[in-house]
Amino acid sequence: MAVNNNLQQEFVKKWRDNAYGCFTSGHKFCREVCPVTQVTRNENHTPTAFHANIVAMEQGALSIEDIAQDYVNCTMCGACELRCPNTLFTGDFYRHRTQTVKVVKAMRALAVQSGIEQPNWKRWVEATVDKKSEPVLDVPINQDNVAAWAKGLDLPIGGETILFCDCEAAFYRTSVPRATAMLLKKAGIKFGLMREQWCCGGPAAEMGYTDHARVFAEHNLADWRAVGAKRIIVLDPHDYITFTEDYPEYFGEDFDIELVYITELVADLIRRKKLKLTKPIKRVVTYHDPCRLNKRKGIFESPREILRSIPGLTFKDVDHVTQWSYCSGAGGGFAVERPKIAEEISRRRLAKAAELEVDTLVSACVWSERPLSARGRELKPKVEVRDLMELVAESAGLDYGGVKV
Amino acid sequence: MSVVTVSDAVIEELKGIVGPEYVLIDKPARYNRTRVPAPFPVHRWGDYVPDVVVLPATAEEVSEVVKLANRFKIPIVPRAGGTGLADGAVPLRRGILVDIKRMNKILEIDLEDRAVTVQPGINMLKLNEELKKYGVFYPDDPASYPCSIVAGRIGTSGFSLISSRYGHTRDLVMSMQVVLPTGEIVEVGDGGGRKLRKSSTGFQLKHLFMGHQGTLGICTEATLELVPRPEAEFAAFFGYRDFEAAYKSTGAMTKSGLATLAAVVLFDDKKVQYLRRDDEAYIPQPKSVNSVIATAIYGVEDEVRAAGKRLLRIAKETGGKYLGDEVSQGDWASRHDRYATPLHGRLLNGQVVPMCWHCEDSAINYSVIPKVRKEWHSIAERYIKKYEIFDDWGCFFYTNAAYKPWGDYLAEIDIGIWEQRLNEENWRAWVECKREITQVALKYGGSITACHGSTREGDAEFVPVEMKGGFEVMKRIKKALDPNNIMNPGKNMLDKAYED
Ligand SMILES: Cc1cc2nc3c(=O)[nH]c(=O)nc-3n(C[C@H](O)[C@H](O)[C@H](O)COP(=O)(O)OP(=O)(O)OC[C@H]3O[C@@H](n4cnc5c(N)ncnc54)[C@H](O)[C@@H]3O)c2cc1C
Ligand code: SF4
Ligand code: SF4
Repeated sequence: MAVNNNLQQEFVKKWRDNAYGCFTSGHKFCREVCPVTQVTRNENHTPTAFHANIVAMEQGALSIEDIAQDYVNCTMCGACELRCPNTLFTGDFYRHRTQTVKVVKAMRALAVQSGIEQPNWKRWVEATVDKKSEPVLDVPINQDNVAAWAKGLDLPIGGETILFCDCEAAFYRTSVPRATAMLLKKAGIKFGLMREQWCCGGPAAEMGYTDHARVFAEHNLADWRAVGAKRIIVLDPHDYITFTEDYPEYFGEDFDIELVYITELVADLIRRKKLKLTKPIKRVVTYHDPCRLNKRKGIFESPREILRSIPGLTFKDVDHVTQWSYCSGAGGGFAVERPKIAEEISRRRLAKAAELEVDTLVSACVWSERPLSARGRELKPKVEVRDLMELVAESAGLDYGGVKV
Repeated sequence: MSVVTVSDAVIEELKGIVGPEYVLIDKPARYNRTRVPAPFPVHRWGDYVPDVVVLPATAEEVSEVVKLANRFKIPIVPRAGGTGLADGAVPLRRGILVDIKRMNKILEIDLEDRAVTVQPGINMLKLNEELKKYGVFYPDDPASYPCSIVAGRIGTSGFSLISSRYGHTRDLVMSMQVVLPTGEIVEVGDGGGRKLRKSSTGFQLKHLFMGHQGTLGICTEATLELVPRPEAEFAAFFGYRDFEAAYKSTGAMTKSGLATLAAVVLFDDKKVQYLRRDDEAYIPQPKSVNSVIATAIYGVEDEVRAAGKRLLRIAKETGGKYLGDEVSQGDWASRHDRYATPLHGRLLNGQVVPMCWHCEDSAINYSVIPKVRKEWHSIAERYIKKYEIFDDWGCFFYTNAAYKPWGDYLAEIDIGIWEQRLNEENWRAWVECKREITQVALKYGGSITACHGSTREGDAEFVPVEMKGGFEVMKRIKKALDPNNIMNPGKNMLDKAYED
């Protein structure tokens, strides 16, 4: 082994077998589903390259300085892992799955540890030090107004069940948490808010700032414990990934919090008739499978079940496997560093929706909604982007208000 | 052969041609564009790294890049998907690598005359996603369907799994635009209109630009056949007690005259054993099954139903046992993904190690299949015993002729290689093994390759042997078109054209 320094040596040791699993096949089945590669057509940005670089590192041919930039080009959607024949065929037997998302995340962390930082990520993460929340542009953000979205809803603090509201939803698309909170109340679910809610820490971790991410995680877990929370209702797929994948890694066995994803809960409420959808919604819609729900967590049925139960709706579905090759471009901090490519990824997603001649694209990921909405407004005729919970609340006859951007 | 390196002045000119953003000189860009599927000599990775990578967007840009390379006598190599199994896209002499993946637009869909014109950087699966809306498809269907690219299919003259029904790449590309090694842009194909299937004017130039592995120019546009999407698909897998019975049954099926028969694949006992080893995706078969035939019929409903019945009858009469709908449909549907999954390799002592896949793909006649197969396995066995890095993953035989199942066969032996253990000694052993396998194919009147090309060490040396007098013609053509030997130099023994 000819790797350059200790950190890199450790990294290669940890990831080399996974890298070789890809390298020895190297067929690049993943390439044409990767949303970034579909736009840039640059082989540096392919999952294949992400693994080959590690083999080259082992050879001493490439170092973290050479490759750090390339690992920015990933939305962490997970499409490549699903498309990989290694996962499909040998995965189960050998408990071997080509891990690409984790590799990208780890490589970004190695970059930061090695003192190689990306300017926009650095700025982003630094801004969260004071704000404790995602630094959303042009919106006053601080702990005093983190729950401003809930004004007039009369939600308690604490309790066994907590609704965790994503930063994007808390400050930018407040219609989503409002709609969600109101329909949960209507269905008789008892839940409260946190005393002090910080960012889940997921984005910082994805940008490579692991220590920083952990501070957020520790704060949030402490807050949950302090208010007696046992169960968290999650309404953003990114938070869901952070809570189900990062937090257990940070806290190990101690992490005993139950996590419920909102679409699973709402589908169940509808099924059990705790929530009645009566007001017809006359729209022609298709559904955008958020990457983290569909590709990474395998949640694709409950959102469809909910859509099918809304009266008046014409639902033109595209199966969840076809959607492996779509992405909004909003994930993995990608849009912060590569806004133009991210924009093109969203544009292509909307073009696919427009082919189905729909007036609405429904998403279940609040992060995706700002970029997708912007691209939907460019189309003629326009395609509006709505959150699934907004439609549910509307059909349940709730006037939820809030802001949509 | 001296290696010319690319000067800063040339790099500046390249930036002027394709735009600075699309000239890559960073190390990872160059390292990753050397790599092809395994076995890739990791220990020699650094030897074949191009000096600069360009990502052009148009034929004009490609032409200017080629002219520049020709002026400075810089080696230039086109790269498409980088999935070729014969090292065609590996820049043996460094130089400029032209990555055409950005050229992936669909230029025209002509449903009236049934042709689609594309830039060559598009992948078949992506193209067919678009074509689906129109009820047509482009039926070039290699096992690398999700990853290989039209230009690479042309560069290698690839093999399509459903070719007995629809033809291979060379039959499906109607015409193309090529940038010659001196930079001129020309159209080749039958007739002047780009969309003719048959003419009789002049030389048949299209075939000259099929499978040349980037040694005669760079394809920048292609017009492809559009066929109706099959209304019905019937896949049937049959099990046999031994290879001999399956072999005979293959003959009966392929000579039956069924026009809709798209594929007949014969898996030998070693292949069945390999699949059985530990692959959960392979649905367990009774022990009595030692060889398998996979078939597929494509066409309109009425034809397919009738042909399916006939095929089942032929199989039964020749000792085949239908393996059931689950195996047949599932395994045929997943055929694209069944290749190249590592971690199947086993050493002599049974230990599982992450091996890579190397396939040897000769074209041979039906009559010699049993002999070739036997000799190939015995070669593999010798190397497995001597070097602890190989494994025999069995053979299969695919109908190879276009529009007719009874032609010759693509014969493939798959060898697992433990790539992590490649050093110079093991690498030489592998090349030797490959040479022996190649020679068997030639001995029985076969060809070195049916689709991957003969640009890898162990094959390349035998090009003059197989081509005989034709090799003289090849050399003259190469020298006439590429006076400075800049296009993918070092491949196919074509350097010999410049020796005298
Ligand atoms: C899992 C797997 C399964 C496979 N199954 C099959 C199969 O069933 N049938 C089959 O035929 N092959 C198969 N292959 C091999 C490979 O996919 C084919 O050889 C394919 O045609 C190569 O395409 P590519 O786009 O990757 O080309 P590359 O590997 O990039 O290039 C191939 C050759 O074409 C040349 N070339 C590239 N672009 C141009 C251009 N614009 N103009 C001129 N020359 C050019 C290159 O220089 C090179 O010599 C398989 C490979 C894998 C990994
Ligand atoms: S990630 Fe999987 S599909 Fe992609 S090149 Fe590697 S092994 Fe192949
Ligand atoms: S996770 Fe998504 S964006 Fe990242 S490499 Fe894989 S397919 Fe591409």
